[in-house]
Amino acid sequence: MQVGGYAGKILRVNLTDSSFHVEPLPSEWVREYVGGDGFAARMLFSELKPRIDPLGEDNKLIIATGPVTGTLWPMSGRTVFVSKAPLTGIWGESHVGGFLGPELKYAGYDLLVVEGRSDEPVYISIEDSDLELMKAAELWGLKTNEATAAIKGRHSDPDTQVAAIGPAGERLVRFASVIVNNARAAGRTGMGAVLGSKKVKAIAVRGHKALEVSDHDEFVRLAKAAHKRVRENGQAREMHKWGTWILTSVKQTIGELPTYNHRTGVFDGWEKLSGEYIRPRYTISDRACFGCSLGCKKVNYVREGPYAGTFGEGPEYEGLMSFGSLLGIADFPTALKANQLCNGLGLDMISTGATIAFAIEAFENGAIDESIADGMKLEWGNSEQALRLLEMIAKKEGIGKLLAEGSRAAAKSIGHGSDKYAIHVKGLEMSGQDGRTHRSIGLSHATAARGADHLRSLVTVDQLGYQEVAAKRWGRDKLPEIVDPYTEKYKAAAVVETENVYCIRDSMIVCWYSVSWPPIFWLDDFAQVLPVVTGVDSLGSTDELHKIAERQVTLKRLFNAREGIDRKDDRLPTRFTEEPMPEGPGRGQRVNLEPMLNDYYKLRGWNLKNGLPTDETLQRLSLEWTRTGVRRE
Amino acid sequence: MLDLPAQLTVDYTKCTGCRICELACSAKKEGLFNPALARLKIVRYDDLGMDIPNVCGPCDEAPCVDICPVYAMRRDPLSRMTYLDEDKCILCKSCAGVCVNGVIKLDTSRMRIIKCDHCGGDPECAKACPTGAIQYGSISQSTIRGRHGKMIHYLKEIERTALAEQTDGEK
Repeated sequence: MQVGGYAGKILRVNLTDSSFHVEPLPSEWVREYVGGDGFAARMLFSELKPRIDPLGEDNKLIIATGPVTGTLWPMSGRTVFVSKAPLTGIWGESHVGGFLGPELKYAGYDLLVVEGRSDEPVYISIEDSDLELMKAAELWGLKTNEATAAIKGRHSDPDTQVAAIGPAGERLVRFASVIVNNARAAGRTGMGAVLGSKKVKAIAVRGHKALEVSDHDEFVRLAKAAHKRVRENGQAREMHKWGTWILTSVKQTIGELPTYNHRTGVFDGWEKLSGEYIRPRYTISDRACFGCSLGCKKVNYVREGPYAGTFGEGPEYEGLMSFGSLLGIADFPTALKANQLCNGLGLDMISTGATIAFAIEAFENGAIDESIADGMKLEWGNSEQALRLLEMIAKKEGIGKLLAEGSRAAAKSIGHGSDKYAIHVKGLEMSGQDGRTHRSIGLSHATAARGADHLRSLVTVDQLGYQEVAAKRWGRDKLPEIVDPYTEKYKAAAVVETENVYCIRDSMIVCWYSVSWPPIFWLDDFAQVLPVVTGVDSLGSTDELHKIAERQVTLKRLFNAREGIDRKDDRLPTRFTEEPMPEGPGRGQRVNLEPMLNDYYKLRGWNLKNGLPTDETLQRLSLEWTRTGVRRE
Repeated sequence: MLDLPAQLTVDYTKCTGCRICELACSAKKEGLFNPALARLKIVRYDDLGMDIPNVCGPCDEAPCVDICPVYAMRRDPLSRMTYLDEDKCILCKSCAGVCVNGVIKLDTSRMRIIKCDHCGGDPECAKACPTGAIQYGSISQSTIRGRHGKMIHYLKEIERTALAEQTDGEK
């Protein structure tokens, strides 16, 4: 079968014996998993032994692309890093924009699998079929931007795409990130620590080969029409102007801007963290990832004040939140400085900010005292202290050593009831949403495979009240409850459908913003383009795509189940289920998770008692092979 | 009516570095997706937060024409655009080496020189650019001609500082 869109090969790097292996991409994966996240789930489940140490030699890191990666389809520059996560000990994935994925495909590979462990620092160099492990002793200890520049210089080619870890990844901070193009972060779940444990400083990729799709002319026609839709979409134009900062005022208005470690959803200083305030004062240019006509990235420069001279791309809304409202800091230069430090040192900005917020609240309530906090009086709204803690985490110095394990582990070793200040699900610190004023995200946070995740099933239609979209997607009979953010009713239906579409998005792989508020593309658009790219007709049916997505969600669930996850772990911090929202539009609201969980399991075909997939579900999704762990082909 | 010659002009302040132009170019000219075969080049400076499109023309001088030993490259006296005659080309690659914008390339798989021809007057890159950073029109119409000059200066400045670094401050 000739399948279009894919490079058709998997590249494996074994660091233990310094060898490279190229193998064909199994063609049956295309029909069952599409690409990206799907391929990675299929591979990680069958190749990883249960209960291994995420930072040990047996863990693998998969870098995956999809069928549209590197083509003209809009926003198709995304790449996913998948591994067993050091932060959570379960399924770990982290998507990143930039230019790495397309370059990997131009080099001729759909997937790169990093296995084993090196004794000394190396970086992996891939230039088409020239594959080499290069010594990286002199790069060890460098910040990500310095390492990237050094490698590009060594290859004398600015188009060499580099994914690098920083000192935090080298020191195995549990939420260390991998940084691409200086400022694009595969941040969440600690992929940088996986590379650090394998002594891989960076991955450098350069390709000169071509990608062919199944029906070129039809694909180019569809892609051009799709770009036109992006360029003419009002919301996309706003996104180009403000980036994700547009969210700050939206979140404040609906009372969902996480403030003081999620204690409340409104923040007095929110204006200084909004796009309208930041752009005219700090933004100097707009940039985009590969093949994106939206272009949401902002380059910023601070001209005066204590952080004068700070320059860099970002942060996103999540960064503004985690080093802004979450810590009670109403100051963009602080967030930009934190973003620059996190990118350079290789830290996940969300988890770093959230872990510092945990420490402050634990200090406030007496669970941490000054002897643990290295003489500091931890307090809200202290920029200098937050940045100092950030650097201590990256260096694993003093209290930083404790916090570098993540808020769940830190709370466990501190004790004194501090676990209620650790705002996480399954070990992953919570992103910038709140289930109390947006019920469906409560369910998303509780059920997402990697923990408190805002990217796998965040429903925006209910949050912003798009009645017509909701009626079209889920049926008019579910109105008005389904667009009411304060009720649990029907929320599972919205979450399941959205999660399915996002699975296909993450398998193609295209960017979040192509399906965001209100979506530019949805499942029928993907069903239209996938057969044209691949030549596989079955991918043209939305029912089939739903089934593929269900298979992927269930497979990730099975991976987690093997690590001991079941219904008892699908929970939210008591902050959201027991403490009512104290102020703002959502005052008095809290999440009643159980009914939503029941609905979700029913729709997914999982057992209500333990939240695990039933035998019928495994059979329906052709996943019986998972019972023995590995399917023998 | 006087038909003024048109050129590709770029405004790097508008370029987001998305490289859609490279993809559109290779899709039209080769029926493939491969930026290495595009007739133009976006150079991204991630450390400076800046992206610079390099297209063919407008050049005051045409080194690619001057250097060609077999007169395979010719210049249109009106439009000042240069064209390659593939039948005459002996693949010496001098033009690829001498092009200041780095947009004359060697296709190593099919062993031929590839070069922009403005798509016969309807360039795909300008149509594909989402921000208007690449435009096609007569130079007199173009308000951004001056910016191209700035871009050249900028590139020279990068070269100068890189040289200064190499020689470790010795002037």
